[in-house]
Amino acid sequence: MKFDDETTDVLIGGYLSKDAAQDDYEAALASGGYLHGAVVVSKDLQGNVSLEQTDHMVREGAAGLGAVGFAVGLFAPPLLAATAVGAAMGAGAGKLLHHRTTGKLEEPAGATIPVGGAGLILAYPHSAAAKIEPSATRAVRKVVGETEGHHVHALKGALADAQKQMAEKGS
Amino acid sequence: MGEFSSGFPGYTAMVPRDCTPWPRVLAENGYSTAAFGKWHLTPDGQQGPAGPLDRWPTGWGFDYFYGFLGGDAGQWDPCLAENQKIIGTPEGFYDKENPYYLPDAMADKTIEWLHGVRAQDARKPFFVYFSTGCSHAPHHVAQEWADKYKGKFDQGWDRLREETFARQKEVGVIPQHAELTPRDGAFPAWDQVPDKLRAYYARQMEVYAGYSENADYNVGRVIDAIAELGELDNTLIIWIWGDNGASMEGTITGSFNEMTMQNGIPLTDEMQLQLAERYGGIGAWGGQIMDPHYSAAWAWAGNTPFQWGKQVGSHLGGTRNPMVIHWPARITAGGALRSHFTHAIDVGPTILDIAGIPAPSQVDGIEQEPFHGVSFADSLTDGGAPERHTQQYFETIGNRAMYKDGWWLAMKTPRIPWVLTPEALAPYAPATWDPVRDPAELYYLPDDFTQAKDLAAAHPDKVAELRELFWQEAEKYKVLPLIATLSTFFGIVPPRPDAAPIEYRGDVQNIMSGMIPRIYNHSYSISADLVVPAEGAEGVIVAEADHLGGFSLWLDDGTLTHTYSMMGVFIYRQQAEEKLPAGQVNVRMEFAADGATPATGGEVTLYIDDRPVGKGRMDHTVPIRFSAYAGMDIGRDNGGVVDLSYEARKPFPFTGTIKKVIFDIKPHQLADDEDELHAAAHHGHTAHALSE
Repeated sequence: MKFDDETTDVLIGGYLSKDAAQDDYEAALASGGYLHGAVVVSKDLQGNVSLEQTDHMVREGAAGLGAVGFAVGLFAPPLLAATAVGAAMGAGAGKLLHHRTTGKLEEPAGATIPVGGAGLILAYPHSAAAKIEPSATRAVRKVVGETEGHHVHALKGALADAQKQMAEKGS
Repeated sequence: MGEFSSGFPGYTAMVPRDCTPWPRVLAENGYSTAAFGKWHLTPDGQQGPAGPLDRWPTGWGFDYFYGFLGGDAGQWDPCLAENQKIIGTPEGFYDKENPYYLPDAMADKTIEWLHGVRAQDARKPFFVYFSTGCSHAPHHVAQEWADKYKGKFDQGWDRLREETFARQKEVGVIPQHAELTPRDGAFPAWDQVPDKLRAYYARQMEVYAGYSENADYNVGRVIDAIAELGELDNTLIIWIWGDNGASMEGTITGSFNEMTMQNGIPLTDEMQLQLAERYGGIGAWGGQIMDPHYSAAWAWAGNTPFQWGKQVGSHLGGTRNPMVIHWPARITAGGALRSHFTHAIDVGPTILDIAGIPAPSQVDGIEQEPFHGVSFADSLTDGGAPERHTQQYFETIGNRAMYKDGWWLAMKTPRIPWVLTPEALAPYAPATWDPVRDPAELYYLPDDFTQAKDLAAAHPDKVAELRELFWQEAEKYKVLPLIATLSTFFGIVPPRPDAAPIEYRGDVQNIMSGMIPRIYNHSYSISADLVVPAEGAEGVIVAEADHLGGFSLWLDDGTLTHTYSMMGVFIYRQQAEEKLPAGQVNVRMEFAADGATPATGGEVTLYIDDRPVGKGRMDHTVPIRFSAYAGMDIGRDNGGVVDLSYEARKPFPFTGTIKKVIFDIKPHQLADDEDELHAAAHHGHTAHALSE
């Protein structure tokens, strides 16, 4: 039996504009639900990547969450997703990525976010799902992964689950 | 239409020489003639310097032409023709302070031409055909025009329709007994539109209204100029407004890019809003960066009090447009109303009738077919004149009607006009569609102005009579086979250019969008022989259209780059991992399609002198056409650019030398593949991954 506060959820949303991702990001922050962290990444029409994340993400090692999440490619076909997931996970997300700078996080995101597109990753305890999940109303694609636990390992597991769902949706 | 020039006699878009256009008759009988704006009567494959030019406006008898040959054009960045030359995007497009705007330029050119005619000859009669791109998409207008209507459409399309209907009765342009036809289920109720999307929808109509008012303003400028010449009283002005009824081609959602519908890309309204946000938000709707089209539901409201709209030739919403005629010297009862049944084909015979010029029996030694239309000249001065146009067939993309003596048989296919999915088109495939089984509605227009009362069940004999008459007329006027307009969707397309490599030498500019190499749905390569100066080079090698659909092979600070815009929805960019060397060098991009499927994905590889230097993947490609109007250029990217990263440097000319550019389209090996490619899925779920 799983307890809500011992399960970690990761929501991944894909967007066709930065504005839409930003709307959902801010709605999640304003929802009143507890967030482990939130990341919104976008690439403008000139190809420049911008990123915003909550302090929680860095504290909880969720910079890795962002990097891994966006390496999936929110619009990527399954083959690319599988490869990217493997590579990113193999690179050691989690504590190692905890030390990454924002600039480094932008690199994998920039490689996989489509021009003009944006992505959102929200990590939260399942007990907050009722408040957090409905806040992401504008996502073109939205999946939620979950794994038992509330540490970085659980975060990675939930993220992997979400990535798998995202890849399946893209097929 | 130029884009659908298929192999059937009535659908070649090639006016035969036994049907000499009547503007030529005017020209050869002493009139100075000129056409401005939209043409849409030259087949796609004839819109270049090799012609033939007899289906260009000058071939139709116009002494002067300034406008666009295709079906639509950007109002900010049109690819224009003047007389017998494509002149491309006007220089004013690059002027940020005072940008070019086509309707303004059309009025300027018209007035300039009139002044020129009068400077030479104070009495010679003139004929002007002034056809704005408005109200066809893209809906482009300066913000101040759109802002005049801010908040005017917040009530939504249902209420707007009721308000318009009431006003029509108040001013007396429809009978007092007319009934407002109800909303078809294909259109959502305004009440169902989520609050968060209402501003998005309302802005679409505000822009459309501003765009329309601006067209009216520019028509007024031309009329004022005629008045200043002192010739308004004795100038016959015929004003017809509409786009075969307001256009529903924006689909229910409206679109940031009119071509998403034509390419069969299914997008929800939330997706459309996000794409609009990507390009500046709804405040930028109508500006240079989008090619917008409003929702089909706004078009339906615009067609009040009728049902449906453009493409639905079975009903008045897709066929009936208002006409106003002004001629003070002869029409003394200003403001009078006429309800004689007339058709667009009556306009020419009426003008010749008024000018006192008989229709020619022979032109260039060729016996002429009689005009299909009839003159309504006597009705201008006599409200009691008999109605001469007593029967008329209609057909648009399978939707058809037969009118006779007040009775109107409407035969609309069940297909929703803006839905072009394979599933929606499949019932209309050759040997599948039986048009006889399409439902029929019968109306009697003298009693039922709006087509609100279907009398088919009460008058089966009239239904049978008009059905039979339709087939007779269809045979007589080359409407058959009915599949013809839909034929493109089923693989029956104009002959393909030779599959051998297509070579461009020199500084070729403004190749019209319907004449570019047909790279769609195929593997292909683009190769260029360059000379790179010692200091390196940058700029565009070859580019088609713009960021809303197109491709560009270019040098980014000496680095070979390929950008491909899948209708502005997906934008792909591949770049070489090294810079180009100086001297003579060959660069090439190769697209290896996944297979013979519409909108196929595939792998891109970049080469320098046959050595791979970069790669990437494009998951979706454009299946039908990049742009309705934007052309292809060698050595620069005229008009709107494909890759907005070089937008500030547009047209971003190449700084080295381009010796030649070669397109090599790889035919798929199996004929079955080709058939399959052009089968029902021609307008496939190109972005199916987005349609969930």
